[in-house]
Amino acid sequence: MGKYIVKRLGYMLVVLAILSFIMFFVYSIIPFDRAVVEAEPYKQSLKNNPNAPQLYQERVDQYRRELGTDQNVFVRYLGWLGLGPINGKYNGILQGNFGYSYEYDRPVTEVLARPMENTVFINIFATVLGLGITIPLGILCATKRGSRLDTGVQVATIVGYSIPGFIIAIVFVWIFAINLGWFPVSGMKTPGSDYTGLQELKDRLYYMLLPLIAMTFSSLGGMTRYTRAAMSEALSLDCIRTARAKGLRERVVVYSHAFRNALIPIITLVIGWFTGIFSGSIVIENIFGLNGVGRIYINSLNAKDFEVVLLLQMFYVILGLAGNLVVDLAYGLADPRVRVNK
Amino acid sequence: MKKFLALLLAAMMVLSLAACTQQAADPTSAPSAGGENSTAPDPAESQEVYENKIVIGDITEMSGDFRSPGWGTSSANATDQAVWFLTAGYAAMETDRDGVYQWNQTSVVNHSEVDNEDGSRTYTVEIARDLTFSDGTPITAKHYVADILAFSSGPVCADANRSGMSGQVLVGFEDFNVYAGPGSEEGKKEFAGVRLLDEYTYELTVKGSELSYFSYTTAALQPSPLGLFLGEGVDIVDDGNGCYLTDNFYEKTGEGEDAQYVKGLEILSNRYDVSKYPYSGPYTITEWDEGTKQVTLTINPEFKGNFEGQKPSIETIVYVLAVEETCVGELSSGGVDLLPAITGGELTKNALALVDGEKFTETHYQRAGYGKIQFDCDFGPTMFQEVRQAVAYLLNRTEFCQTFTGGYGVVVDGPYSPDFASYRAVQDDIELIDYSFSPDTAIKVLEDGGWIYNSKGEPYVAGASGVDAVRYKKLTAEEAEGWDGSGTNKTYASVANTDGVTYQTVEINGEYYMPLAINWYGTSGNSVSDLLSTMLSNSSDLSAAGMVIRSTSGDFTVLQGNIYRMSSMGYEGTPTYNMYNLATGWNSEVYDYAYNWSLAPEYFPYSVNKLFDEYDEAFPYDKEAERLSYDEAVAASGDKLGMDYLSMAMVYNSTTKEEYYQWWMAYIERWNELMPDIPLYSNFYYDVYHTKLENFKTTPFFGPRKALLYANVKGY
Repeated sequence: MGKYIVKRLGYMLVVLAILSFIMFFVYSIIPFDRAVVEAEPYKQSLKNNPNAPQLYQERVDQYRRELGTDQNVFVRYLGWLGLGPINGKYNGILQGNFGYSYEYDRPVTEVLARPMENTVFINIFATVLGLGITIPLGILCATKRGSRLDTGVQVATIVGYSIPGFIIAIVFVWIFAINLGWFPVSGMKTPGSDYTGLQELKDRLYYMLLPLIAMTFSSLGGMTRYTRAAMSEALSLDCIRTARAKGLRERVVVYSHAFRNALIPIITLVIGWFTGIFSGSIVIENIFGLNGVGRIYINSLNAKDFEVVLLLQMFYVILGLAGNLVVDLAYGLADPRVRVNK
Repeated sequence: MKKFLALLLAAMMVLSLAACTQQAADPTSAPSAGGENSTAPDPAESQEVYENKIVIGDITEMSGDFRSPGWGTSSANATDQAVWFLTAGYAAMETDRDGVYQWNQTSVVNHSEVDNEDGSRTYTVEIARDLTFSDGTPITAKHYVADILAFSSGPVCADANRSGMSGQVLVGFEDFNVYAGPGSEEGKKEFAGVRLLDEYTYELTVKGSELSYFSYTTAALQPSPLGLFLGEGVDIVDDGNGCYLTDNFYEKTGEGEDAQYVKGLEILSNRYDVSKYPYSGPYTITEWDEGTKQVTLTINPEFKGNFEGQKPSIETIVYVLAVEETCVGELSSGGVDLLPAITGGELTKNALALVDGEKFTETHYQRAGYGKIQFDCDFGPTMFQEVRQAVAYLLNRTEFCQTFTGGYGVVVDGPYSPDFASYRAVQDDIELIDYSFSPDTAIKVLEDGGWIYNSKGEPYVAGASGVDAVRYKKLTAEEAEGWDGSGTNKTYASVANTDGVTYQTVEINGEYYMPLAINWYGTSGNSVSDLLSTMLSNSSDLSAAGMVIRSTSGDFTVLQGNIYRMSSMGYEGTPTYNMYNLATGWNSEVYDYAYNWSLAPEYFPYSVNKLFDEYDEAFPYDKEAERLSYDEAVAASGDKLGMDYLSMAMVYNSTTKEEYYQWWMAYIERWNELMPDIPLYSNFYYDVYHTKLENFKTTPFFGPRKALLYANVKGY
C-alpha cells in the first residue's frame, strides 16, 4: 500500500510538472505585456517631456528585466518555480514566493486568503447539507422504486437538474429575499455591524443561508439521481436476493450489503464534492455578492492578473490529483476486490 | 408525467423571467435634463425614526486602496476614490458643482500668485491655523508639501512603485528627482520650487516653460500625515533654498544592486493600511472588511468643512458591494439606502420603477463623457476626413442612443460635456456640423472627397458586386506612402473577409486606388459593439453608400495594443484596424489635450487618433516662441489653426477665461469638422435612494461622494 502511494505520488509530480509548464506556456503566449502596463503611469507623466519615448522605453525595459519578461518562456518558468534566477535572484515558489497580484498590488497569497476562507466556509455547509440530503433520499427512492415518493423526487430532481444554477439563484433571491424578505438580497454581513463571537457567526450564517440553499438545491438533482441509480442496480444483484432469502432484516440488506455495493460509483462523486470545497462558484458568488475564490478567479482572468490565476490553477491541479489518489484508495476500502496490497 | 414535467419547467421559466425583469418604468417619463430631484417627500407622511446612517450599494468592488487610489495612476477604482474623497479633506482647492477649481475657504487663509522675472510663476498659500487631523494632530504646511516631495523623488519612488514625477512642472524638479541621498553624485537634496515660508505657509514655483492656463491647480495640495507618504521619522526642512527631506528618507537596506530604499518599501506598505494614520476629511474609516468588501465611515468631529465650509451630517456611511442583477431588489428590500450612478437601459428602468416619491426617489445628471467610435487617422480610408464624416452620417446616432441607453441618454457632437462651463459660455456662438443621419449626405461627402472609382479605376457604379461593391479613391503619391513614408496604404486590405471578398488597394498604371473598406476592432461581449454591428456595419445604408466595415472582436488588450501599436500587446507590426469603439470622460473642467495632436514623432505615444492636421504643417505651434493671443494666431494663420496648435494654445497661451473660451470653441469646432471620433451616446446617471436621505443633489462634476456632505438623514 505504502509503495503504491509513493509510486502514485511520483506520477503526480510528473503530471504536475507537465501541467504547470503547459499552463505557464499558455499564459505566456497571450498578447499582454505587464511591463508596458506598469510603465503606463510613467508614460503619462512624461507627456510634455521631449525625451519621453526614450525614458519610457528605458522604464519598460527595466520592468521587463525585473519581471523576467525579457527572457524566454523556459527561463521564466524555471524562475516562477524558483529553479532558476530572474533578474539575478532565485525567488519563486520553492522560495516561498507564490507570485504577485498586479491588480491588487500585493502577494497572491494575501489576495487569496480571505476569499478562500469565505469559499470554504460556505462550501463546507453546502457539501455536508447536499450529501446529507441526497444520499438518504437516493437510497429511499431506490428502495421505494416506482412509489409516489420516488416519482415526485424524480420530477423534482430533473427540474432542479435542468435549470441552470444562476436561474435558481435569481429566482430564490426574488422569492425569498425581495418578495418575502426572509433573507438579505446579497452581501456577507449586516452593513456597518461590528458583531463579535456568536453574534458574528449568526449574522454570517444569516447572510450565507440563501446562497447555501440555492447551492444545495442546484446540486440535489444530480447526486440524488446518481445514488438512486447506483442503489437500484445494487438492489437487483443476486447477492441481495440471497441476503433477503437468508432472512436478513431489510435495513441490514440495504445499508450493509446494497449500499456498500453502490458505494463505488458514489465515492467518485462524493470525494469530488469534498475537493470542490476549495473551488468557488463564479455564478453564486457573483449573484450573491460573495467575495469568494470564483469571483477572484474570473476578475483576475479579466484583468490578466495571471500569477493569481496560475497559482489557483496549480492548487486545483494538486487538489484534483490528490483527490484521484484518495478515490482510488477509497475504492479499496469500499470493495476488497480492488484493494491495493502492493 | 411528461405533461406535468413540462408544466413544471414552464412554470420555473416564467418565474425566472419575472425575477430577471421585474416591473419596468416608462423611460419617456424620465426627465431629459440633468441635476434634478424628481420628488420632494412630505416629512409629515413618515413616522419612522431612522438611524443616522446610510448604506450605499456600489457595483464597483472596492480594493481597499483608500489612501491614494490608483497609487498615482489614472486607473483608480471609482468606489475607492469615493472613500478616499470622503476621508481626505482640506485640499487647498476643490472642484465645485461645475467642475471648476475653487480655493478652499476653510483651509486657505491667503493665497497669491506672482510672475517672476525668469518667466516662472510662484503660488503662495497660507493655510488656516486651526486645522487638525482626525486624531487631533495639528495640520501645518509640511503636511501639505509631504506628498509632492515624496513622489518627486525618483530613486525612492522606484521602490514605492510610483513614477516619481509628481512635481515635474516645478522649478528644481530635475535636481531633486535624481538625488539619491547623502553622497549622491547627482542632483540636489533641495527642491527649489517647493518652499516652506513658515509653519503655515507653503510656496510652489512653476517653471516658465510649463506655465499653462491650468497651472493654478498645481497649488491645490492636500495635507497628509507625514509618515503616510514619507515614512516614520522623516522630516521636511527648508533652510532657504527649497524644501528637503531628512537623510533618513534615503536610507537603504541591502547591498549593491539588491539595495532598496527602506522608506520606499514603508510607503508602499502604508498604501493599504487604513488604521495607522489619521484622516483629514469629513469621515474616518472605522472598519474596512476586505473579506466582505464593506467599508464603514464615521464622521470626523475634527473636520471643519469643505471648500464652502460644509460639514457632514450623516453619522455613518457604509459602502457595500452590490450586484448589478439584484441591486434594485437590494434597495427595495432595505438592504441598501442608495444606489449611486445607475446607468444602462434595463437597470435604469428597473431602478426608476421603484421611484414613487414616498419611499424612494432619485436625482440624475448627464455623464461628463460619452461612448464613441474612435478612428486611427494615419492610414487606410479613415485617414480621410470625408470618410470619417460619412460614417457619422451613416449611423443614426439618435436611434442608437435611444436603443442603447433605453432613452436615458443624449447625443453630443463633439468632445465636450454640455455641463462644462466652457460649453455653456460659448453654446450660442459655437458652430458645429450637424451629423444627423443622412445617407445622401454621406454619399455626397464621399463623392466630393474623390471616392468615385471602382477597383479597375473606372467610375463607381452603385449596386455592383464583389470587390466593386465598394468605392475606391485614387491616392496621391504622398497619400500612398502614408504619413511615415512606409507605404502602408499601398498594401492596405480588409480583414475578417468571411464572405470571401478581400478589398485591397490596387495599382493601376502606377497609381494606387484604395477601397472604402474599414477594419473595425471591438471588444467581445460588448453591447455597444453588438448594436454597432446591427446599426452600422451590417446596415443597408452603408452598403448602398459603397462602404464596407469589417468587424473583428476580441480582447481589450489587443485593442489597446493596436491603438498604441505595441507588439507585446497583440499588435502584429502593420497597422490593420482603423476603427474602435471606446468611451471617455472627465472628472473636472480641466481640459488638457496638449501633445495629443502633435506631428512630432516623440509624442506619437500620446496621439490617440494619430491625426495630423494639415493646418499644423502650415502653421505649427512652437512652445518656445512668443505665445500668440487667439486673435493674433487667427490672423497669422489665415484662420487655419490646426488641432495641435489649438490644443497647445488653449492650455499654454490662454491668459484669461475669455481667451480660454475662444481657444476652446475653436478647438471643438475644428474637432467637429475633422471628426477623429464619433460620439455615440452620453448617458444619464441616476442616483436612486430611500427618501430618508434628504438634500441629496448631484451634478456631473459633483457626484454622490461630494453631495453626501450636504445631505442628511430625515430627522437629523
